[in-house]
Amino acid sequence: MRLDWDAAYLDGRTAARRRATVHITRTGLDVALIEGGTRFFWPFREIRQTQGTYAGEQVRLERGRDLPEALLIGDVDFLSAARAASPEASHLHDPARRRFRVGLTFGALVTAVALALGIYYVGIPAFAQVAAARVPVSWEESLGSAIVDHFAPTARRCEDPVRQARIDAIVTQLTAKVRPQPYTFRVTVVNSAIVNAVAAPGGNIILFRGLLERTDNAEELAGVLAHEIEHVLHRHVTRAIFQHASTGILMAALVGDVSGVVAYGLEGARTLGSLQMSRTAESEADRDGIRLLQEAGIDTAGMITFFEKLLARERSGGDIVPRYLRTHPTTTERIATLRALAAAGARPSGRLLPDDEWDGVKNLCGELPADARSPRR
Amino acid sequence: MADSQPGAVSPFARGPAPRPTVPTTTIRPASAPPTTPRPPAPASSGSRRVIFRGSGGSLFGIHVVNVLLILATFGIYYFWAKVRVRNYLWSQSEFESDRFAYHGTGRELLIGFVKAALFFFLPATLLNMLPELLGASPVVIIVTRMLVSIFAAIFIPIAIVGARRYRLSRTSWRGIRFSLRASTGEFARLWIRGWLLIPLTLGLYYPSFIVNQHRFLTSHSWFGSERFSFEGRGRDLLPAWFGAVVLFVPTLGLSWFWFAAKRQRYYAEHTRVAGARFRSTVTGAKLAWLTISTWVGLICTIGLAWPWLTVRRTRRTFEWLSLDGPLALDNITQQAQQVNATGEGLAGFFDADLGFT
Repeated sequence: MRLDWDAAYLDGRTAARRRATVHITRTGLDVALIEGGTRFFWPFREIRQTQGTYAGEQVRLERGRDLPEALLIGDVDFLSAARAASPEASHLHDPARRRFRVGLTFGALVTAVALALGIYYVGIPAFAQVAAARVPVSWEESLGSAIVDHFAPTARRCEDPVRQARIDAIVTQLTAKVRPQPYTFRVTVVNSAIVNAVAAPGGNIILFRGLLERTDNAEELAGVLAHEIEHVLHRHVTRAIFQHASTGILMAALVGDVSGVVAYGLEGARTLGSLQMSRTAESEADRDGIRLLQEAGIDTAGMITFFEKLLARERSGGDIVPRYLRTHPTTTERIATLRALAAAGARPSGRLLPDDEWDGVKNLCGELPADARSPRR
Repeated sequence: MADSQPGAVSPFARGPAPRPTVPTTTIRPASAPPTTPRPPAPASSGSRRVIFRGSGGSLFGIHVVNVLLILATFGIYYFWAKVRVRNYLWSQSEFESDRFAYHGTGRELLIGFVKAALFFFLPATLLNMLPELLGASPVVIIVTRMLVSIFAAIFIPIAIVGARRYRLSRTSWRGIRFSLRASTGEFARLWIRGWLLIPLTLGLYYPSFIVNQHRFLTSHSWFGSERFSFEGRGRDLLPAWFGAVVLFVPTLGLSWFWFAAKRQRYYAEHTRVAGARFRSTVTGAKLAWLTISTWVGLICTIGLAWPWLTVRRTRRTFEWLSLDGPLALDNITQQAQQVNATGEGLAGFFDADLGFT
């Protein structure tokens, strides 16, 4: 094994680079400066290696605490020679293990991907569920009223106590037999052509005029309300907030320090992710919504026909794209699932309201001046 | 402006040093041979460049292990991860056939982060939220919000100086540490004065403001006992800046790259160290292409390509910059400063990008 190596020496006090030779002994390195002939000895146990672990990097050995001296050796084989010569040099990097280290890095890649996927698909949803269940109802209510204020400022609400009472009666009927639950449900109708309904945390349901006007009977609206009530009971929005925040932290950990610009790219990925997660929530709200209707003795056919109507409208490319479908990824499959669930239960004979009476309720916003009807954002 | 003393001066020539300095003579490696005063060798001249030798693959490997450990330690490893990346980037940067070295530690960064969180982030957040939680009147809420903004505005220059001080003090070449020896208060005054003058002069003060900042940070930077000097004036950049502003909308913002390149060239050509002068060959087109392609690459890969893009960007940036003329290195001696990482931690909260990760 070769014991003499060319090196450069930096004394830690001047910027001069001095040529030196290094001789490997059993306990350390004998260094001789070419110019001036000075010799000194570095024991292995006082030597730290700070460079030379990556391909193409010189070996840098340092000695001393705050402002160390350094020896630079261009050839990494020096490390193998030093390790072979002395057991005290075992803390130096072993070039022979580079392949092993590459393998280890690959293992780390696989583990990191598995860990990240596990956290994303199992850890975060579980955490969000546990955390959301522990949020006090009063917090959810104040969050919910902030959301209502955003979507439904007082000036845009359709307020008609008599017809509102019909809608509230449906909610009461739906929630009457529900297991003990802490929420007070309130439906707010917004004067906007958007075909949508939103379940805010804490029991606030926002119904947009566009959706209300597309219902043909009370059972259809009851279907939508049952779905939204289940979102509230399952705390889906609160859970989504936790998921959104934790996904952000996970992604920051994955891509490291690149801030700013990447944030936009990440935001896109996060939105895709939350859409994916909301799909699970939607099926949950569908499934339990049907059950809610059945328990309340309301015909489940209304929910199904209403969803079908929106789907048909989407296919024909109507002037207003039903946003309810875009945020609620309804597919034929979803309707099929609903049919199967509905078929399992008995069909009640009674109706919630006669159809002509419903026509009055669904036009709750109808008598308002034309300019107030145009959706403002 | 009073700071633009050209050339190198004695470290103590400008009165008391802003930070406790460790005099050269107190640190003497145990085994070092007795130094005999040598006659200064003739300074070598020519054009020198920093060459970046890193590879995206290696950096990706470092990143992968970092991610794993960050996930496994619930984020605490983040600071050590940062050190590993910097270590690699510094070690792969070569100048005059010697590599740079990074001397920071994860422990320092963690302590810096905790201090910055305690002294800045927590008070600011509490002050921001408390009035609302206590149900104070809207006037009180608005007043405290404004106070928090002012509080934050004062911390930005402190963060800039602190982060730069820390990074330079942890960087060495040929065993000699860089340092920033500047008073934070002086920079904060420069900063606040600038932001007051910009609106008063309808923005015309902006070029002077950025040049003053650059002059302050450059002329207080040292390599061992050798001081950097910068002798630029804001008014030299005024026409270019004005042109870039006027053309900003018609060129969809691309004129800004042209100005940024002009600024980089100007900064380089007016900066000297050890008898040599910097020179930059960057152009607006080169800068625009590098920046935009890096952004697009990062966005399209949601950040996963950053090791390769960082390597590419660093390599290009170094290729554009050279140090020309005789470079007298032989009389440069070590003069390290004691610095903590609080400013670095603060900079993290402001997301202040000071280049190089």
